Amino acid sequence: MKTGIFICHCGHNIKHTVDVGRVREYFSAFPHVALCRDYPFVCSEPGQDMIRESIEKQGLDRVVIASCTPSLHDDLFKDLLRKSRLNPFLLRRVGIREHCSWVGDDLERNTEKAIRLIRAGLYSAAHYVPLEEKQVEVTKSALVLGGGVSGLSAALFLSKMGLQVYLVEKEATLGGHVRSLRDIWPMKRDGEALIEEMEGELRARGTVEIFTSTTLSAFEGSFGNYRATLATPSGGRGVVAGGVIVAIGFTPFDARVKGELNYGRDERIMTTIDFERGAERLSLPDKPRVAILHCVGSRDEQVGRPYCSRICCINALRVGEAVKERYKDSYVECFYMDVRAHPRGGEEFFEETQEKGVLFTRGNIAEIVPGAKGLLLRGEDTLLGEVFEREFDLAVLSIGMGPATDARSLSSLLKITLDKDSFFLEAHVKLRPYDTAVKGIFIAGTCAGPKDTEEAISHGRASAVKLFGFLSPGYAMVDPFIAVVDGKRCSGCRMCERACVAKAIRYDEAKRIAQVEEAACMGCGLCNSTCPSSSIVLRGYVDRAIDDEIGALVEAI
Amino acid sequence: MDEKGAHSLEIIGFACSYCTFKASEMAGSLRMKYPDEVKLIQVPCSSRVDPAFVVKSIFEGADAVFVAGCHPGDCHFIKGNYFTRRKIAALKEMFDTFSMKDKLRLFWVSAAEARRFVEKVTNFCDEIKEAKNAGKRA
Amino acid sequence: MQAKELKDGALERALNLFLGSEGNLVLGFEKGDDGVRHRIFKGGLDRFSLFNPFFDVNGALYLRRLFSKNARIMLMLRPCEIRAYTELAKLSQIEREGITAVSVDCFGAVSSRDGIADLPTDAEGLRTYFAEPERMRAPCRACRERRGVVGDGGIRIDRNGVLRAFAYTEKGETFLSLLEGEAEESLPEMLLSEGPRPEPFQTDMEAFAKDFSPCVMCKNCRDQCPVCYCVDCLFNGDEYLPKGDALLNKILRTGSAAMPQGKEMFHLIRMFHVSQTCVGCGSCEEACPHQIPLTKYFKGVSERLQAKFSYMSGRDFEETIPYLTFLEDELKDAED
Repeated sequence: MKTGIFICHCGHNIKHTVDVGRVREYFSAFPHVALCRDYPFVCSEPGQDMIRESIEKQGLDRVVIASCTPSLHDDLFKDLLRKSRLNPFLLRRVGIREHCSWVGDDLERNTEKAIRLIRAGLYSAAHYVPLEEKQVEVTKSALVLGGGVSGLSAALFLSKMGLQVYLVEKEATLGGHVRSLRDIWPMKRDGEALIEEMEGELRARGTVEIFTSTTLSAFEGSFGNYRATLATPSGGRGVVAGGVIVAIGFTPFDARVKGELNYGRDERIMTTIDFERGAERLSLPDKPRVAILHCVGSRDEQVGRPYCSRICCINALRVGEAVKERYKDSYVECFYMDVRAHPRGGEEFFEETQEKGVLFTRGNIAEIVPGAKGLLLRGEDTLLGEVFEREFDLAVLSIGMGPATDARSLSSLLKITLDKDSFFLEAHVKLRPYDTAVKGIFIAGTCAGPKDTEEAISHGRASAVKLFGFLSPGYAMVDPFIAVVDGKRCSGCRMCERACVAKAIRYDEAKRIAQVEEAACMGCGLCNSTCPSSSIVLRGYVDRAIDDEIGALVEAI
Repeated sequence: MDEKGAHSLEIIGFACSYCTFKASEMAGSLRMKYPDEVKLIQVPCSSRVDPAFVVKSIFEGADAVFVAGCHPGDCHFIKGNYFTRRKIAALKEMFDTFSMKDKLRLFWVSAAEARRFVEKVTNFCDEIKEAKNAGKRA
Repeated sequence: MQAKELKDGALERALNLFLGSEGNLVLGFEKGDDGVRHRIFKGGLDRFSLFNPFFDVNGALYLRRLFSKNARIMLMLRPCEIRAYTELAKLSQIEREGITAVSVDCFGAVSSRDGIADLPTDAEGLRTYFAEPERMRAPCRACRERRGVVGDGGIRIDRNGVLRAFAYTEKGETFLSLLEGEAEESLPEMLLSEGPRPEPFQTDMEAFAKDFSPCVMCKNCRDQCPVCYCVDCLFNGDEYLPKGDALLNKILRTGSAAMPQGKEMFHLIRMFHVSQTCVGCGSCEEACPHQIPLTKYFKGVSERLQAKFSYMSGRDFEETIPYLTFLEDELKDAED
């Protein structure tokens, strides 16, 4: 057996707390290890070429790659083996980043841990055998969860590409938050009109089913054949989808959480959303004094929102501009930490707003005190280093975005991850920003993080493109990690058959042994651990492989 | 039991691919720190964990073992973890019979619960260290 | 549940009637010069003994892998043997169809190793002899179910020493119909009652290692265990006690100076494997060349693990083995 071990530095992500040189030295002297190399980025093109060359030159028959967590770049490395004419299941990934370098600080101890983890992978891989992937047909349909602007965008694209689309929206109407926007920046469109246009286009297509007042109640299956149960007003409904796009939107920050701003206690204190919806009905004096607060519910550790919500500075500028438009002699002051007018044209917009006379004061407002003559705002001007108190007629809070209320329950149902702020986590921030770690499930729009309307629409389309790419071949390769019975050793006690959750085992009366229905097997391995003689084994996770991992983790170095 | 290096305390954890292992990945990407004594073995479902693996881990020299999977009712394989719960509860009873129930734990950690994962394993490791030191002092 | 009083010789007459049909067999006991042992009777009874106060092997062992649907066998065995038969039948290791299992009240037994040849074989004699618990082997002392209440039928003794046959299932009723007389309406109190639940077994690894230090991994215990049914046991290979090349590889890898000893793992893992099916018969202990107190451990652990699920091995054919089922809402305290 000739194993090649490739240790990734991942730039400095692994290298900075794991002595990769020492790890390489350790394995270079191992029996059956034909070569051991370390490299800055094994997932890069030159990194992959290096691995491929090594396989071919050395005639390797097992490959161990110690790098980021195994679920990342799975297809990439498997393809690499295929191109080198090795069965892709002779590859063993060892996670020494998420499970070692990133979770420990001590160089010496982390290095030892990495050695143990790689050793476990090495011993385990010795038991790997070539496996054939199963090819299954995929259903050319998609489930889009969320009927807001990014969901609509995704649904439109997928439908135009010929897929059957099931769009599920929990409210009674489509459109989400964009529906109530009057003047979307910078496209200068009315939200309602935009939504009606998208919805109209969607409804006109024959292969789209739209469910409103509907939620997802159950979900199972795998890529290409997901089975979802929808709770519709007229009862339960099952659909089969090849893939899923999660676009459930966001929840605006509840400004009442910041009690010192007294939102909800005085109608002169409003959020940007309130302003959007009710600007025409405002009754202000002829020369109104308007305060606009940036970063309300963003970049704020105290309320558990340390991140920037991306859209609130532009929203603040829009309010400033709108006030100046209506009230030429108004006094408008924005209180900011930074002005992040990031989209294209944003900086110019910022300058225009200043030219229109909106003032910008760097500082945080500590308190808004409603009084008979006006609102008293107390804060600190951080550039001048002075505390101030000023009176205003109106205070507009530019609130941030938070995760959707259903994010946690949906993450549980679909088995996709949330990040620390409870937005959905992408598989890889640079390489796979629309995928989740679960094959066939994608994320789009604000549920994946704050973004503006244009970005949400693009994101929806991008995720749809990816899903379409996955489904268009018409088939999917399914991991062959299913159970198989050794007929010579099976006692025919039928315990595995009774335990099997998928009902994938049947008893052969003539031979008196158990048999696995491959298509139904889910690959959990319950049968293997139920059988006292392990006569039924889960390919890829056989007893010996795991036993040797145990030994490898604990043996002295 | 094999001889080990002076400092090495080893805790082996069996983590299911769809829930606990995912949580551990998230803990990693969030740079959360937990004791390096904890080493994970990935299995597709916690129900793959054969009690023999747990016994073997102890006899190969691990100081403690945990089995972790999805919360009951949330298993990716639908019902696998109900069987895990039964087998591991029985195994714990057996460990208790041999006065070593402290060496085995069962956790439910879902894919999003990175913090819970870190808390559970850190807590377990600390208690094992404590017990080992107390044993040395005694 | 029906019952019939057994007059003198009634049982033997009924069994002979049964054996009169071609192909019918009775697995029970025969009385020999040096004690009582298992015997399969064909054609007719000969030196038949209802009781067997000697324990050498669990009779269910003889029936493992009996799949023929043509078998017509009546079992007249001790409760632990019928319980083992029931567990094996649940695990499809014995074809139940043609078998009628009758359990007989048991007063206990001595070990076949003790060299005692001369023991009474009648109910009154045995009751008197085993009135002193020290006379019976340890597994019998710890036994909780000596009553003939398991299987398809039972033979039980009342407080006046009168024998009765009971039917627990349809097959039991068929057996009963072979006997003379009418089924009784009311029944007097039986002599034997359910044994007390023992104190939960408690030990530690030190005591365990000490008790098992003489073990040489001969696997007799496993081979003689009636419910250890695997066709090819996990411990047959080189995994737990490597020899030859496997041994060399392990030493080179671990650098261990001591010979790897798999015996503790073997016993602990086997203990878990049989935890829900162990009937506490002590065949393992009987077979051990070093007389290791195996029953103390195996029965001790299995009592605790069966109690956890309110399960008793061999009590009921319909009771599912605990590891093959679950309740959605249970074992909350299993989680840490």
